[in-house]
Amino acid sequence: MIEGFRLGIFSRGKTLWDGLDFAFGDAAAWFVAGPPSSGKTLLLSILRGERKPDAGDVVVSGESLYRGNPALARAWRASCGHVPEQPAADARPTVGDLFRRSALAGGGVTESERKDRTDRLLEMVGLSGALAYRIAELSGSERVRACLAAELLRGPKVLFCDGVIAGAGIPYREMLWGLFRALAREGNTVVLAERTIPERWALAAGDAEPVGPFRVYRLPVPGAAA
Amino acid sequence: MTERPSLWWIDWRLSPGSLVRETIGRFLFSCILGFLLLSLLLSGGASRFLADRYAITAVLRAEVPSAEAEGLARKIAALPPVRSAVYRDPEAAWKEFLRAYPGLDPVRGAEGNPMPGYIEIRIRPDRLTKADVDLVTSALRSVSRVEQVLAGEEWLPGMLRAGRFAAWGCWGIFGVLLAGFFLVARLQERGRAVALAGDFAFLEERGVPAGRLAFLRSAAAAVTGFLLASAGTAGGGGALFLALRTFPFLEGTIGPPSDLLLPRTVIAAVLFCVCTAFLSGVGSFLGWRAARSGRK
Repeated sequence: MIEGFRLGIFSRGKTLWDGLDFAFGDAAAWFVAGPPSSGKTLLLSILRGERKPDAGDVVVSGESLYRGNPALARAWRASCGHVPEQPAADARPTVGDLFRRSALAGGGVTESERKDRTDRLLEMVGLSGALAYRIAELSGSERVRACLAAELLRGPKVLFCDGVIAGAGIPYREMLWGLFRALAREGNTVVLAERTIPERWALAAGDAEPVGPFRVYRLPVPGAAA
Repeated sequence: MTERPSLWWIDWRLSPGSLVRETIGRFLFSCILGFLLLSLLLSGGASRFLADRYAITAVLRAEVPSAEAEGLARKIAALPPVRSAVYRDPEAAWKEFLRAYPGLDPVRGAEGNPMPGYIEIRIRPDRLTKADVDLVTSALRSVSRVEQVLAGEEWLPGMLRAGRFAAWGCWGIFGVLLAGFFLVARLQERGRAVALAGDFAFLEERGVPAGRLAFLRSAAAAVTGFLLASAGTAGGGGALFLALRTFPFLEGTIGPPSDLLLPRTVIAAVLFCVCTAFLSGVGSFLGWRAARSGRK
């Protein structure tokens, strides 16, 4: 369970948001929709333990991320995956390098396991045979999908995706819909931040909970209790 | 094979190509440094060159018998600063005189050989100091059988001073090269830290502490530096050994190849490797810090 208590951000001389409470349960896919410049990326970095909020605290499984043991916060970050909105600003490496460094971050991934899983993950996100491609040669959609596949290599317990649905493009929505729900069904937690939620997803998720400038949806997971 | 990825040798995992190039360059640099270091250790700067050319001559009284003179030479040879003490009898001295001044045969008249016997004393290169020369000359002057001691005392201090300056110059050049090695290593490490900044940021974002990354990079650089310096010193030592065997005249300036295996030479070489490892580690850390702070 990831809980945000009375979260507040004061930026550019004004209050971006304050007093927001969030609760993201385990083994679920969550969708946070918010308008541009509402602080979605900031919210994800706060939940990941990257950026201390100006007010409030984040508690993960009963432990404070910012007021507790720093080692626990590091362990939390190590257990998270993160696909940024603008992935791989450093465009020099290849797709294979993304997987290599992802494996490094998750110290327990063996070399043979990495090679085996890399091909399957690339195939899953529609990038078969792209291992040797340079990131600079990829389109925006391909970059997002390559980064997502590289993050999945470590099998993170919690996956934060920032603008992945919009970045991947409409043709990949169904694949992502299935992927995130499958991850949740396997006991992982997925938190997506987007400007808008696809209409079909919104219909399936039902009513959203308004939290400040955001609307939080819980995506339905087949076989799981709501 | 089940390789457990770890942060050890992380640069090798992330950027093997550039590291291979850097490693080859550092190995060659280490070979040059190792060659210079061993040459300097063996030669003592200019000490061996000077010691090879400097001798104290103890001129014996005419009536000293050969057996007694040889016994005296042996006693002198036992003095700590003395490398060798060789007795030349009057006949040998006369022949040397004629070689130096041909055509003076008539000097040897009816009275016979005018040249006295003498003992030629050579000082060990590492003991060629004013104090040690004084020790030997005072010991010689106290012997009643010695008529005169020729030690070049009027020009010896100047020669020793010149030798000291030459040694300082040689070690200075070595120090400059070592400093150059450090600066190049630092620049390479900084360049690599900049090139891999995206990877390091990725790892930090996923809970890997920056301090641990810096420490492990520095530690790996130090271990690599030690191994490279060891290999480079061994390579440089091998090259020096071959050079001394091929060109024996170098022994007079540098020293015999067997001195390469003296304990003090080996210890100095190990210390050099440790020093290089330390410089490599510090260079890696400073390069990392400079890359992160964006300073040159």
